[in-house]
Amino acid sequence: MSTNVKDVRTVLTRDAREEAELDGSAAIEAEHVLLGLTRQSAGPVSRLLTEAGLTRETIRDALDREWEQSLSVAGIAVAVAELPTPTPDRGRPPKFGESAKLVLKRAADLARRLGAHRITAAHILAGLLDTNLGRVARALDLAGVDRPALQARALQIAADEAR
Amino acid sequence: MEKLMDPADPAAGLAAVVALRRLADRLEDSQVEAALRAGWSWSDVAEVLGVTRQAVHKKHAARLIAAGVALRRR
Repeated sequence: MSTNVKDVRTVLTRDAREEAELDGSAAIEAEHVLLGLTRQSAGPVSRLLTEAGLTRETIRDALDREWEQSLSVAGIAVAVAELPTPTPDRGRPPKFGESAKLVLKRAADLARRLGAHRITAAHILAGLLDTNLGRVARALDLAGVDRPALQARALQIAADEAR
Repeated sequence: MEKLMDPADPAAGLAAVVALRRLADRLEDSQVEAALRAGWSWSDVAEVLGVTRQAVHKKHAARLIAAGVALRRR
């Protein structure tokens, strides 16, 4: 996988879209961007995620638990692992959903504030963590992740890159 | 954890809406696929779902053809 910061947006777009397809989702959502980030095999953000115990597998597991818990609020007991899995739709690329658009907007705003010329993985991760709402925040809470601390480290990486 | 489960918490209630939509989408995709693999017609699937045959065909045909499902003539 490329670690060239110039390619991050493209890589993320491609990987996040792939994650959305695998998830059977008609839209790329914030959680697919996070899963896409874990496909990077090198770089400070990759190391940060690994140190926090966030791999593609642990995040998917946390997202499934978030799904189960939220269904239980509606009185529905479902074991996600036992749900039938439809064949993914590979012919119709998912569009960016609102949650992913917010992530990219927040990443772009951060990059602009820091005077960065390009959006990097650090900006994307900081953008992902810049909210208490939505599936990503809830799943990370379930996984026991200290989101503010992770956010601070993502911002530090972004600040270091800008120097 | 407690808070996540509290139905009186709007964050939990709204997350439940998202979760239900995800569940409905997942079930629709898998059950339409299962029905067509079992030899159902598009018309019968559409009638059960309460939508037009064109709607269900437009939404699922490309995926199921790519998946190699032997589809009956519509």
